[in-house]
Amino acid sequence: MSDKLKNIISKQSDQQSRGTVSQLEDAVQLVGFIIGDEEYSVPILNIQEIIKPIPWTRVPQTPDYVLGVFNLRGSVIPLIDLRLKFGLRTKKHTDETRFIVMKEGNEVAGFVIDRLTEALRIRKSDIGPAPDTLQEDESMIDGVGKQSDRIITILKVKKLLERDF
Amino acid sequence: MDEFQEILQDFLVESFELIEQLDQDLVELETNPQDLDLLNRIFRVAHTVKGASSFLNFDILTHLTHHMEDILNKARHGDLVITPDVMDVVLESIDLMKELLTTIRDTGSDNGIDVSACVARLDAKSNGTEAPTDIAPAHNKQFQEVKAEEPKAEKPKVEEPKVEEVDASESEEEPNYDDMSEDEVEAEIARLLAQRQEEDKAKRQAKVDAGEDVPQMPDVDEEEEEKPAPKEEAAPKATAIVPKAAPSSPRRQESDDEDIKAAAPAKSAPAMVEQTIRVDVKRLDHLMNLIGELVLAKNRLIKINVDVEERYEGEEFLEELNQVVSIVSLVTTDLQIAVMKTRMLPIGKVFNKFPRMIRDLSRELNKKIDLEIYGEDTELDKSIVEEIGDPLVHIIRNSCDHGVESTADRIAQGKSETGKIILKAYNEGNHIVVQIDDDGKGLDTEMLKNKSLEKGVITEKEADSMTDKEAFALIFRPGFSTAAAVTSVSGRGVGMDVVKTNIEKLNGIIDIDSEVGKGTSIKLKIPLTLAIIQALLVGVQEEYYAIPLASVLETVRISKDEIYTVDNRSVMRLRDEVLSLVHIGDIFEVERIIDAGEHAYVVVLGLAESKLGLIVDSLVGQEEIVIKSLGEYLKGMEGVAGATIRGDGGVTLIVDVAALMQMAKGVKAKPMLESGSSGVVKEKTKASDYTVMIVDDSKTDRTIMRKSLEPLGITLVEAVDGQEALNILKQAEHNFDAMLIDIEMPRMDGYTLAGEIKKYNKYKNLPLIAVTSRTSKSDRMRGVESGMVEYITKPYSPDYLASVVSRNIKFKAELA
Repeated sequence: MSDKLKNIISKQSDQQSRGTVSQLEDAVQLVGFIIGDEEYSVPILNIQEIIKPIPWTRVPQTPDYVLGVFNLRGSVIPLIDLRLKFGLRTKKHTDETRFIVMKEGNEVAGFVIDRLTEALRIRKSDIGPAPDTLQEDESMIDGVGKQSDRIITILKVKKLLERDF
Repeated sequence: MDEFQEILQDFLVESFELIEQLDQDLVELETNPQDLDLLNRIFRVAHTVKGASSFLNFDILTHLTHHMEDILNKARHGDLVITPDVMDVVLESIDLMKELLTTIRDTGSDNGIDVSACVARLDAKSNGTEAPTDIAPAHNKQFQEVKAEEPKAEKPKVEEPKVEEVDASESEEEPNYDDMSEDEVEAEIARLLAQRQEEDKAKRQAKVDAGEDVPQMPDVDEEEEEKPAPKEEAAPKATAIVPKAAPSSPRRQESDDEDIKAAAPAKSAPAMVEQTIRVDVKRLDHLMNLIGELVLAKNRLIKINVDVEERYEGEEFLEELNQVVSIVSLVTTDLQIAVMKTRMLPIGKVFNKFPRMIRDLSRELNKKIDLEIYGEDTELDKSIVEEIGDPLVHIIRNSCDHGVESTADRIAQGKSETGKIILKAYNEGNHIVVQIDDDGKGLDTEMLKNKSLEKGVITEKEADSMTDKEAFALIFRPGFSTAAAVTSVSGRGVGMDVVKTNIEKLNGIIDIDSEVGKGTSIKLKIPLTLAIIQALLVGVQEEYYAIPLASVLETVRISKDEIYTVDNRSVMRLRDEVLSLVHIGDIFEVERIIDAGEHAYVVVLGLAESKLGLIVDSLVGQEEIVIKSLGEYLKGMEGVAGATIRGDGGVTLIVDVAALMQMAKGVKAKPMLESGSSGVVKEKTKASDYTVMIVDDSKTDRTIMRKSLEPLGITLVEAVDGQEALNILKQAEHNFDAMLIDIEMPRMDGYTLAGEIKKYNKYKNLPLIAVTSRTSKSDRMRGVESGMVEYITKPYSPDYLASVVSRNIKFKAELA
């Protein structure tokens, strides 16, 4: 019995490790979400956590898309509304609204999104460059991921976390 | 390699500590050239550094210290008299040594600094080639005078004449040294050494006879002398700093003796372990952070306890909970204090360098200046001790250069020839006060004003209306300097500006007092610690802000007609002062939705030398807060010093008082009461322009109301309880014409909701209609009290509801 179990477990782990290797080689894991009518995504490794909306405190003298700061288990973290940042009208928070806490190096911030879609895996070969009408370093877009039925914009987390005011 | 690094670190830490002590000792030595203990101690520093640096292959440092050691050794053996000239060279070499050590610390090697010139001078002094024989006696004479004037505090019981006698004989013999053969010199050295030790022994004997407990130094050889912990070294030093510290000296003397007593047995039992350990500052910082978290958790616990008390009044477990909460909060507070204490350093660490500085300055400026230091034991957080050094240097330089007059002027004014600067530190509540007094010429307000006018720092109008205190504060303006001539010491107009910025950075307050001809007194009031602070929480509209209590002088409640407008700025009269005012809402762009009422609270802020009145809507109370940064993204937001987490888990911003005072200058006075509903009411052109909110927790009830009102064609918005209704109102997406409110609701009931809504200017006249099954008279009364205009009891007919609503929203039937 226990031998059987061991066998299965070792098989599984074998499979898994082989699987990861191939994934690491040619795929990126992303988390997709909706803002307005469009689907965006960021690399899963840049996401610290995703939480339901909690109260925040306004910080004066900031642009309107900086909603303020909130308390994430003892850390004070800025909160940015991506709707406003992308030039959309603000919308009442719903049951599906989430804060995505993203990090890059030492910088951390929470972003308000309309709703989550899914975690997905896209092969690197399926990711195209950002439209070249946009200036390379100005753009918040890292690339465009092609799925069988749709196109997903991949955002540059570094750019999102950059203070631009 | 790692091992080497470790040794190097130890070497540097030790050397810097030794040197800190050294300056002090050397200055003391100049006034007390016969003190063998002192000489020995100084010699040992050079010796220790030399030994370690040669081991670590720092050749240049070794070279330098070797020559220092030479000259000190001669002085120690009495072959050389320490004259101010010799002292200059020795001090110079110590400065070089410091420089070398800093270079080693920064780069790991001692290259790049040329010591040869200094070494040559050291040698010259040491060999006496330049120490002219005819000068020495003159200096000696001067020493005797000095000694006669101020008997050595350390050995008050020594018979003076004897020492002088020795001096005299020495100065007579000295010229002969050059003519002596080497053997003769050796013999002479031996003789002098013996004589000196004899003399020292006699002194000690005298002390012992006098009932004092003195360690038997002469019997102890050098190796053992190095053993006693730094503590013992520190003790006599402390005495040295306060040679004339009249009020405290007897007590000090006692404690010093105790120290020596305590140290003496250590020699007989060398196994006694050192009672201190070195801890990496990073670890302490981390500990402090953890304590910060604990304090926040404690605040939260206290808040929850209060809530629980309200909800479960009279229950037995409450007592227990209460006990636990108070124990936790007590222990947390104690722990916080204990950790804070581990980070505390005596301010003496900063004060130590001033005797040397005063000495150099007085020689440079050709003035006679005495420095008296009190309260060097007063302790401060390490980070503050590091910050306070610079401001003090500037203030003291300023006092020496501008404050204390030249000797001739002083005599002409009938003052004592020697100027006096008093530096003292003491505790005052949660603050430490560092006070710098001088008995110089004082600050002349007229002169200050004229000078500032000339430099364009202030306008004529400002000058006329200035109080004395404000005029004194002019010295802190950038670009201001009262010195007629720019000297190397001060007068470049940067110094005092630095003082102001540094003290502001520490949330400190500067207070200046001065009388022309009598002197100046500058008080720096600094909070004890920076990480965890006491703050005053204030409310404006629905937001809260924390103001560091260190910057709050007082709070006053005023009525709105006490606020005047002068030059487009709000001001008020506070006793005999005119205080400029600014509304916190204007600075932090807070929308004024809620009417603040007839009264306002003014928080009087004081920082460095300026004052400002901050108008707030409410005072919440005092709380202990932990400063957290806003992070990279929001770093450096103007007016915000950081954030803290409150007991309820919410984030509260901490006001940066210095920045706020700057921002206040740009704020023009605004009328206190602005009508909130300034927005033009749009003409209703169709039925759907009318909007009514339905607030009820029951889905069925909401549907019934909706069905009743739908025929009118008006827009309906639903909310499930008072809290949600309030949020919808706040978002202001709709312009509501009326609200239907149920009374029984979770989270926030109808009465409370009505009360909250009426707080908003904008919704003062919004018709609130109660729809409820509560029918008693008292319920109706409460409804009216809380501002409801109609009271509909369930059940009702749809037509009745529709007619009541359309009446209240002044519905034009033709639009339907």
